[in-house]
Amino acid sequence: MSEYIIEMCNITKEFPGIIANDDITLQLKRGEIHALLGENGAGKSTLMSVLFGLYQPEKGVIRKNGEEVRIKDPNDANALGIGMVHQHFKLVHNFTVLQNIVLGMETTQNGFLKMDEAQKKVMALSEQYGLRVDPDALIEDITVGMQQRVEILKMLYRDNEILIFDEPTAVLTPQEIEELMKIMKDLAAEGKSILFITHKLNEIKEVADRCTVLRKGKYIGTISVSGVTKEEMSEMMVGRKVELKVDKGPAHPTDVVFETEGLTVVNKEHGKKVVNNVSLKVRRGEIVCVAGIDGNGQTELVQAITGLMKPDSGSVKLKGEDVTRASIRYKNTHGLGHIPEDRHKHGLVLDYPLAYNLVLQSYFEPAYCSGGFLRYDKIFQYGDKLIEKYDIRSGQGGRTIARSMSGGNQQKAIVAREIDRDPDLLIAVQPTRGLDVGAIEYIHHQLVAERDNGKGILLVSLELDEVMNLADRILVIYEGEIVAELDPRAVTVQELGLYMAGSKRKAVG
Amino acid sequence: MKTNGNLLDRQGFRNALASVLAILIGMLVGLIILLISNPAKALPGFWAIATGGVANRKNMGQVLYYATPIVMTGLSVGFAKKTGLFNIGASGQYIMGAFAAVLVGVKCTFLPAGLQCLAAILAAALTGALWGCVPGLLKAYCNINEVIACIMMNYIGMSTANLLVRKFIFDRAKNQSLQPAASAVLPKLGFDKLFVDGGAPSSANAGFLVAVVLGVAVWVILEKTRLGFELKACGYNRDAAKYAGISDKKNILLAMVFAGGLAGIGGALYYLSGAGSGIPVLDVLAAEGFNGIPVALLGMSNPIAIIFTGTFMAYLTQGGLSMQTFGFPTQIVDIISSVIIYFAAFALFFSQTIEKFRHRQVEKRRAAAQTEKGGEAQ
Amino acid sequence: MSGLNLVIFIVQQMMSFSVPLLIVALGGLFAERSGIVNIALDGTMIIGAFTGIMFLHLFQNPEAASEQGMLLLALLVSAVTGVMVSLVHAYASINMKADQTISGTAINVFAPAISIFVARLVLGVQQVPFANHFAIDKVPVLGDIPVIGPMFFQKCYLTTYIGFLILAVAAVVLYKTRFGLRLRACGEHPQAADSVGINVYRMRYAGTLISGALAGIGGLVFVIPTSTNFNATVSGYGFLALAVLIFGQWKPGRILFAALFFGLMKTIAATYSVIPGLVALNIPSDIYKMIPYIATLVVLAFTARNSQAPRAEGIPYDKGER
Repeated sequence: MSEYIIEMCNITKEFPGIIANDDITLQLKRGEIHALLGENGAGKSTLMSVLFGLYQPEKGVIRKNGEEVRIKDPNDANALGIGMVHQHFKLVHNFTVLQNIVLGMETTQNGFLKMDEAQKKVMALSEQYGLRVDPDALIEDITVGMQQRVEILKMLYRDNEILIFDEPTAVLTPQEIEELMKIMKDLAAEGKSILFITHKLNEIKEVADRCTVLRKGKYIGTISVSGVTKEEMSEMMVGRKVELKVDKGPAHPTDVVFETEGLTVVNKEHGKKVVNNVSLKVRRGEIVCVAGIDGNGQTELVQAITGLMKPDSGSVKLKGEDVTRASIRYKNTHGLGHIPEDRHKHGLVLDYPLAYNLVLQSYFEPAYCSGGFLRYDKIFQYGDKLIEKYDIRSGQGGRTIARSMSGGNQQKAIVAREIDRDPDLLIAVQPTRGLDVGAIEYIHHQLVAERDNGKGILLVSLELDEVMNLADRILVIYEGEIVAELDPRAVTVQELGLYMAGSKRKAVG
Repeated sequence: MKTNGNLLDRQGFRNALASVLAILIGMLVGLIILLISNPAKALPGFWAIATGGVANRKNMGQVLYYATPIVMTGLSVGFAKKTGLFNIGASGQYIMGAFAAVLVGVKCTFLPAGLQCLAAILAAALTGALWGCVPGLLKAYCNINEVIACIMMNYIGMSTANLLVRKFIFDRAKNQSLQPAASAVLPKLGFDKLFVDGGAPSSANAGFLVAVVLGVAVWVILEKTRLGFELKACGYNRDAAKYAGISDKKNILLAMVFAGGLAGIGGALYYLSGAGSGIPVLDVLAAEGFNGIPVALLGMSNPIAIIFTGTFMAYLTQGGLSMQTFGFPTQIVDIISSVIIYFAAFALFFSQTIEKFRHRQVEKRRAAAQTEKGGEAQ
Repeated sequence: MSGLNLVIFIVQQMMSFSVPLLIVALGGLFAERSGIVNIALDGTMIIGAFTGIMFLHLFQNPEAASEQGMLLLALLVSAVTGVMVSLVHAYASINMKADQTISGTAINVFAPAISIFVARLVLGVQQVPFANHFAIDKVPVLGDIPVIGPMFFQKCYLTTYIGFLILAVAAVVLYKTRFGLRLRACGEHPQAADSVGINVYRMRYAGTLISGALAGIGGLVFVIPTSTNFNATVSGYGFLALAVLIFGQWKPGRILFAALFFGLMKTIAATYSVIPGLVALNIPSDIYKMIPYIATLVVLAFTARNSQAPRAEGIPYDKGER
């Protein structure tokens, strides 16, 4: 019998325009906890989706116990004993714990559900692995931690022997994480084989036996966790990339243009503080970068600042004025610019022509509107001006429907719009996500130019390169809290990675 | 990206093509049903449907008369749709508008002639708007699905109109409302002279022109004004509208108020036509409200297109009446229009299929061009 | 009329209004619990009633004293046509991922038109007459119970009992069987159902077809006790059933309560002239007619925020999007 229970050999998976997995090999030993480490977009989720039958790879084979298998859909995966705890739980909110566990595998008698047997089996499993659940509670009434235990029980109930955990700790409290770590160890001790997707080094150090590292869709290596330090793993994850150097002189920050004090946002669903007491300042002439791993409260922080979400406590000051409760329009017209995280959801009305999108927050101003009527000649003139000035490529100029433009040019349009409104504070959230090198350079250049123009820039980024290259000050966010303030000239990428992964913190002054 | 001028690459054209396709399928189904029910008379019957609307000048006038209310309810449905709402409540808004118009038309004879008619239309607009604003409020502030709220408001409107007609303007003998005073009736503008057949005038009147003018006005509002910019932004992408500082709640409410007003005016224009019909006191929802749905769907919610699709549906109605001489029930027209609605629901699918097909074609051509170039390089 | 007789009369009237509402709302329940909004219930009722009545018109024996077997056959005919109509809706909603309200609207326009069209072609007029000898004078034994007997087991219709039988079966199927569990999962969280190997499309077809069968039956059940001919309308009962479904918060027990409440309102609107206290109040019948709809809006306004509506209803499921 093969040493490996599952082997994914030379897997290649392409999407239009991007190779998500490029010749990746992953071998899972029986009874081990195997971590899959990588930054956002490294290809971890794609690889696991291939294993779970959600995607079909272009190249490569999957073997179970040395024998080649084909996994066409999740049912095949299930039949092979592969189970997965998805990042977003697949639980029916108004079903009981027990109903969710048996769904799809129900035992019946004369056509009627027979739950008592199932209940016995679930309780036995629950006891065996220390997975405390109340089988009769409704999912919507229990904590996220217990919901996750339900997902684990779902796999055990199906006698799965290969368990995939996709970023399982993202939604848990520290205590729940500790408990999960113990559960995973128990499962492995009972002979289950575990694949653990994460980018938190502490957790890998604590539970994993071996670790496979991916970077930008490529296989970097597989290491034995006990033999390496966190710093070494961090380096493997981040890599010494060909750096996109940004031509930028030293910052000359002047007065404070923007500050938040004790900003807190509580998630309505699980009651967790997703933004926890964040106080930060941005001065004119500097780029302050909020660095962190995806899902640590960046989105909520920005939405609370811009007004898309109401903060639960704390205040936001723009040019000394308290704008915590001000309308979005008021903020927009009083010096706030915002390059949103999701350009399709928030940034653009995709079915509007480009020129309309370029005046999305200013169409009502006298320059474009008189007596309730829009002055289209002016709007298109302005559109043409921006298209030329910022080199936005589009088929029919200002009349191009935004949907038909390339992602890079859509983003350029948003950047052009926000910069040209001449804001005092520009918030840029992942402004270069999914763009090619040319567009990235361009946007970086624009942000630096704005800084030198005396604007305050608050940059939120997941890309370590971007953070290191652009920031004049780095604020590290971890689980909704600012855990460190760093000087990019005095910190290494590896060190930054440790802060982002929550394994280091430093008092913020 | 440069378009190569192919019509199929233009969304407007694809939409129109999808509508035409839905109409053709609807007509085909109609023909098949006629063939099944009476093969001998099917073809002349079908011909009557297809040409009845232009058979003589009176029929042409009747087409305009029937078109007036459904163009208005079509505009109502289309306007709401532009803001991302499905106004299935046009029926209730329409009948309440009709009541208000007839009430003013019967009671306010103290007003000068032209002014009374105007006041009646205005009253209809306001009452319709009131009826539309209820689902709007419920949607914006209580998060209630507007479709359900509209359905409820239809029945509440029907019963309210029955109640009020009975109380204030009842013609007991005919079990319908009284006729509006002559001073409140819409002017004929010579349509009665133009659209006649052997001395019998059609019921065509200024109402159709009012509907056309309002259609153009709605187009101007949607396409040329700040308000239209905001409404459409909300309809296309509520999140982006919010991001841009546009109040989504306010716009939902406004859209339903406008939609209700338009449907209400539809009621006024129909019952102020002087054609002799009163508001029937029946427990039946006003069909004109529902007929606005296919009109708006076929017109892809474009107000100018709605004027034409409304006229087209009225043309079918007149055709159905002409077909009666061949012994077929007029309901065939409703059957055709239901098939059209059904396939209009597939419009997105049609449009996407064409787009995909075009995309593949362009890709293929590009690939072919590249291999050619590659060949030259070798 | 004595007090007791009045109560008996009202209860009997109420049954003939409430039972079809109950059946059709339960139909809507199956569709919506699977994730499909079926606003075509009204049209489906019309077609179901039409074919059922047409069947009776053509095949019943006008001389017979009682034809309960014939009634059962007619109900079967109505159910089958209801299924066929809902197949059209299911195809648009599930396969074509079309806007479910639009395809429902199409069916609502189609139904009365085709009924009148066929009736006129076949009979020359649009009303389809039938001989109503389906009332049961007195159920043996049960009919002799005081009060309860005259209320529920005298001058009653088989359809009333069928309605309550459907309620019981629906509740059991929904909550006690594998099918029900899976159906509900598809209406709440189709991705979750899919991830454990349940075929969401198939379950949604099942839900929609059941709703069609029940709406078809409901159409016939509405016409039988209240009339002797069918005139291509069910007086908007399909829409009222949707209101009952919402009012009943998508739960069988509460749907029964809602159907009885709506039925009572309808009964009062139709018979208030014989109810002593109400005549004195002099409230127009139109007000009573409005009450169910207003009540629905009020209930919605207070409950929409924590509505029990299936979370995935009305949203086409796309296997590609995970």
